[in-house]
Amino acid sequence: MPVKDYATEKDKLKKFLQEFYTEDESGKKIFKYGTQLVQIAHREQVSLVIDLDDLAEEDPELVDSICENTRRYVNLSADAVHEILPEYKEREVVMKDALDVYIEHRLMMEQRGREQNESRDPRNQYPAELMRRFEVYFKPPSTLKPRVVRDVKADSIGKLVTVRGIVTRATEVKPMMVVATYTCDQCGAETYQPIQSPSFMPLIMCPSQECVTNKSGGRLYIQTRGSKFIKFQEIKIQEHSDQVPVGNIPRSMTIFARGENTRLAQPGDHVAVSGVFLPLLKTGFRQAVQGLLSETYLEAHRIIMMNKTEDDELGMEELGEEELRQITEEDFYEKLASSIAPEIYGHEDVKKALLLLLVGGVDQSPKGMKIRGNINICLMGDPGVAKSQLLSYIDRLAPRSQYTTGRGSSGVGLTAAVMKDPITNEMTLEGGALVLADQGICCIDEFDKMMDSDRTAIHEVMEQQTISIAKAGIMTSLNARCSILAAANPAYGRYNPKKSVEQNIQLPAALLSRFDLLWLIQDKPDRDNDLRLAQHITYVHQHSKQPPSQFVPIDMKLMRRYIALCKKKQPAIPESLADYITAAYVEMRKEARVNKDMTFTSARTLLSILRLSTALARLRLVDLVEKEDVNEAMRLMEMSKDSLQADKTQTTRTQRPADVIFATLREMVPDRGVRSVKFVEAEQRCISKGFTPAQFEAALEEYEELNVWQVNQARTRITFV
Amino acid sequence: MPSDQDWLSNPLGVVQDLVADEKISNLDWEKRALEYFQEKLKETEAASWVPSLNDVPLHYLKPNSLVKFRCMVQDMFDPEYYMGVYESVEPSTQARVLHIGKYRDVAECEPQHEVDLQSQNNITMERQTFYCVPVPGEAQWVKESYASSSQARVSPSTSYTPCRHKRSYEEDEDMDAQPYKEKEQFTATDAQADSKRLETEASLAQQSSAPTCSPPLDLNFPLPGEKGPACLVKVYENWENFKVNDIMDVYGVLSVDPALSVLGDHRDDALSVDPMEADEEQRVHSPPASLVPRLHAVLAHKLKHVNPLVPASLCTEDGTSFVSDFLTDLVTVRAELLGLLTGVLLGDGVAAEYLLLHLVSDVYARHDVLPLGKFTVNLSGCPCPSNYTERLYRIIQLLVPCSYHLCMTLHNMNSLTFIPRKDYSANRLVSGVLQLARNTSLFVDETQLEQGQLDSAGVQNLAALGNLITWQKVDYDFNFHRMEFPCNINVLIASEGRSLLPFDCQVHLQPQVVPPHLEQYMQSLQDALLPSLLTKFRIYLSLVRHLEYSISAEVTKAVEDDFVEMRKNEPRSVSAEDLHRMLVIARLLSLSVGQTSLSRERWQRTKELEILRRRRLEQQKCVNGNEL
Repeated sequence: MPVKDYATEKDKLKKFLQEFYTEDESGKKIFKYGTQLVQIAHREQVSLVIDLDDLAEEDPELVDSICENTRRYVNLSADAVHEILPEYKEREVVMKDALDVYIEHRLMMEQRGREQNESRDPRNQYPAELMRRFEVYFKPPSTLKPRVVRDVKADSIGKLVTVRGIVTRATEVKPMMVVATYTCDQCGAETYQPIQSPSFMPLIMCPSQECVTNKSGGRLYIQTRGSKFIKFQEIKIQEHSDQVPVGNIPRSMTIFARGENTRLAQPGDHVAVSGVFLPLLKTGFRQAVQGLLSETYLEAHRIIMMNKTEDDELGMEELGEEELRQITEEDFYEKLASSIAPEIYGHEDVKKALLLLLVGGVDQSPKGMKIRGNINICLMGDPGVAKSQLLSYIDRLAPRSQYTTGRGSSGVGLTAAVMKDPITNEMTLEGGALVLADQGICCIDEFDKMMDSDRTAIHEVMEQQTISIAKAGIMTSLNARCSILAAANPAYGRYNPKKSVEQNIQLPAALLSRFDLLWLIQDKPDRDNDLRLAQHITYVHQHSKQPPSQFVPIDMKLMRRYIALCKKKQPAIPESLADYITAAYVEMRKEARVNKDMTFTSARTLLSILRLSTALARLRLVDLVEKEDVNEAMRLMEMSKDSLQADKTQTTRTQRPADVIFATLREMVPDRGVRSVKFVEAEQRCISKGFTPAQFEAALEEYEELNVWQVNQARTRITFV
Repeated sequence: MPSDQDWLSNPLGVVQDLVADEKISNLDWEKRALEYFQEKLKETEAASWVPSLNDVPLHYLKPNSLVKFRCMVQDMFDPEYYMGVYESVEPSTQARVLHIGKYRDVAECEPQHEVDLQSQNNITMERQTFYCVPVPGEAQWVKESYASSSQARVSPSTSYTPCRHKRSYEEDEDMDAQPYKEKEQFTATDAQADSKRLETEASLAQQSSAPTCSPPLDLNFPLPGEKGPACLVKVYENWENFKVNDIMDVYGVLSVDPALSVLGDHRDDALSVDPMEADEEQRVHSPPASLVPRLHAVLAHKLKHVNPLVPASLCTEDGTSFVSDFLTDLVTVRAELLGLLTGVLLGDGVAAEYLLLHLVSDVYARHDVLPLGKFTVNLSGCPCPSNYTERLYRIIQLLVPCSYHLCMTLHNMNSLTFIPRKDYSANRLVSGVLQLARNTSLFVDETQLEQGQLDSAGVQNLAALGNLITWQKVDYDFNFHRMEFPCNINVLIASEGRSLLPFDCQVHLQPQVVPPHLEQYMQSLQDALLPSLLTKFRIYLSLVRHLEYSISAEVTKAVEDDFVEMRKNEPRSVSAEDLHRMLVIARLLSLSVGQTSLSRERWQRTKELEILRRRRLEQQKCVNGNEL
């Protein structure tokens, strides 16, 4: 490899800084760096960030060499900036601090001296570091992918790398000496010592011409005012838990942040840091002893904060073609649903509901009134029907979630506690599980085992999505925009078919109505199901993997990314659907009155339907809710109700679907006038009740044969005889 | 070629000899050195010549000699960059020599030479440091057996004066009374006896350390009351293969250079901005070499078990022949063992059968989150008065290589740390009781639990224990987040009534004999055990666990049909979980008699056992009168 000519490289950089521009809409040239240089020249800006993406447009090769040998190019570009800076100076600069004054004085002194001597560049006698009042950083090109701490190895030394992690420790910001300035007690000459390493050996003897020739043995004294210091902070980051291979301890990395990069991160923050990976030079005794070892650190160029959810999105560059295709197959809804807890067999509708919970409905705030979009679900069921597994799967799948059990949490633990700091005696607020799950999902297991008083603490969260606190001088309201997924056992431990539904559930209506869907998972023997279950289990034990005949569940990460994508959509409900939904709601209310339904049908039910249908529209990645979405939402509601009443139908006469469809249609017939129903309306109504079109057709035929009704030739009307 | 003794006592010299100076830079020597040691250790008995850190006290071992260590990875530090090859230079003559930096901590060079840090010939390499502790809960018999098979001849080195940590005055007197056999050569058994004494002294000394000393270094053992050396193992090859909690066998170069511990004392860095924190980390990451020696691994391999009676690897030729030899009298051994367990469980045959199955259980696979093969037994109805459970544990301890007796007293639950936790100021993983190696038997004694208040730590501990049992994983606390670590621990819960912890299977003990003096009865059982029989039991339990197992399609069909049938008859009491359990029982039953596939008879036997067990539980319910 030919030796690089760094002088030409510097010129290239200079040229880039001077000439790079972008064009705005009107075609006007904007000199991105030129304007910044003007600000720097006037001491209005300290750090100059060179975006390597910009540089790549001009000179991709240069970018590569910068990434390979960053430290050198930092100095080069600093020199370049330093040299061109005077050209950008448009007016006198106001002195900002002592060092500015100091530099000014030195320059003036030099100027005076120059008149006698031969002409010299005023800057080059003083170390460049002392004179510079700006910092140069590189922003890595977007092609440089963030890396995991454990992948940064010895071969990355000296290169520009980007790592992500969580800050575990950040020291205080302290001044670090960059240039030490000494004065001689004999001749008064000033000596400068640039410092690159963490520690330095102070100069003692004066090296000036005068002292050396006279052998006067002038002593040097350090001058704090004339020295240059820079802000310095040491940060430690640790890998994210999802980047660690199973069974390994997360790695950590030391980061040195200087100047403008300090005070950007605190312990607990998720950050992405770009910087140069460098070995730490040791001096003196330690170097001699340790000899063989060298520690490393990352010299930060850019520290970006990210919270965990955003970070997950970052990991999801656009979904690839292949992945999108994999997801948006025809039966993607079923497929996504069954990919939830694939190890749990069956329960398709429950899983569909959970999928909608993950996606969530759209928040609405008409006239300042907030209506939540989050969907709350309660799973109720016999012991051992894998409720807890479902919960823990959702907990793992959701990017942000909290898992607690009812028995282990009190009202305070769920909402928030006011604590007195033992040292400062200050009152502090500590968020509970619900606050921590803000914008996420709070899974509460053993919901029925909670104390009633504690459970009421959740009421506010479930509808208003806030937590209000008025305790010990702190009055505040915290956001708790979370979905609640609760699991509970029936009141007697097991579902008791001899008792009514109300007695079995035994949760107050105020609470029940806040759940959009209430699901009763019952463990009922059924030959086919049992056999499939048995096959599933034996297969798992035999081969310790999924049976091959089944579909391949979608990977958890892909799911997460897809859900994140869905959440970006904000589908609206078109006017045209409003009538349809109101009609359906009125119908449900009527039914509830007639059947003396246990599940409370209220205005909340209507909202639930809206939430579920917007969630469904989101899932399809569209901007408008369609009729099918509403139908599916109502079907889910219906199924959830069915799951509660399944027992009744079993004990009494089993109602065939055809009978129910007949009853439905009869209700639709207007009291006066023509005793007929529109075919399309009838079909829609039945489908919304959870029947398939095939069942509907069958029922039509059956009753037509019985001569109860007639369907006209065009199949548009059903007329009762 | 280096002589035979050299590779034991001076492995570094051997490595240096293997390399001609000019060839150092092309790194071929790395491979050659590795092959050389592999070759050496392959020889029969060769491994037993290497002294083991486990049973020889540290100060009897020569620094820079080859030693072995059987340990568990407790923590992993960040990788280190070191100079794999470095050059030294004599300032006056400019003579340059290349050295190998592998397997050593401190750069060494000829007199008057200086290490040239700027040399072009230096090669930076990477290595990984593991903090290793002796296998937690390792039974005494395992230790003894390893120690007695060792043929290493160790003598206290003359150059290295035994340097013992903090010793109180009285002990000094005690020491004078029995001076060391300093110059004598003695065999490992002596050393072992001695070492035990020293270790107890050391631990005593640790407890009663003088107030002027800095607080004693916490060696970070998972279990309270553990002894033995902790070690910083530096691994040079394939460190990705090792995980936390893996048991490994390391052959490596011992490094106890005092300079290592000096490192920490002179922090003159301007960068140690927060001296307190940095100090803490320094203290933990480079503890005194006399206390925590460094071991530079030449060869390291993972162990599946620590049973000295079973070959380390069952896949090799030796291993398979060993297995097939043993399989012949497997059935009789099983019968004998069952007899013993029946005796121990006061004549209860069914409970003994379940206990036996529990002892050979093993998480053989994980299906998504669901661990397969775990078999946690709740032995309810343990006679509460007198320390029956403790006696029971003692017998189990005699049988399995690793075990721990966890008394679930309120005090223990509230005060012990169960979950390992990351301490960021010291930058290490603080160990907890649940950080155990695979196949460790955890004996949870619930009979000790009394009424009272569990504090928040206690509740967390209880939850962690429950998690461990259900999912076979422990969520280590990393402060900002938790991380799952899968584990494989056999949990046996002894309780009076139904345990409050989750379990796979509850067996209610029905004593057939009621000995008047329980203590004596158990003691007599223990005394009556023949050593030869005991050996067989130990081999049996370790071996059976690792056998292959399969279910044929035909039997699968039968099992499925059976399940459907059972569901039909009593839908309330048969669930998917029951099928899981029965399949596990069937597997263990088959393996316990040496069958590697499920037969119809075994399945039948499984069902019978389950029926027997269930009937007992129902009876128990009736006796208690109140429904659970």
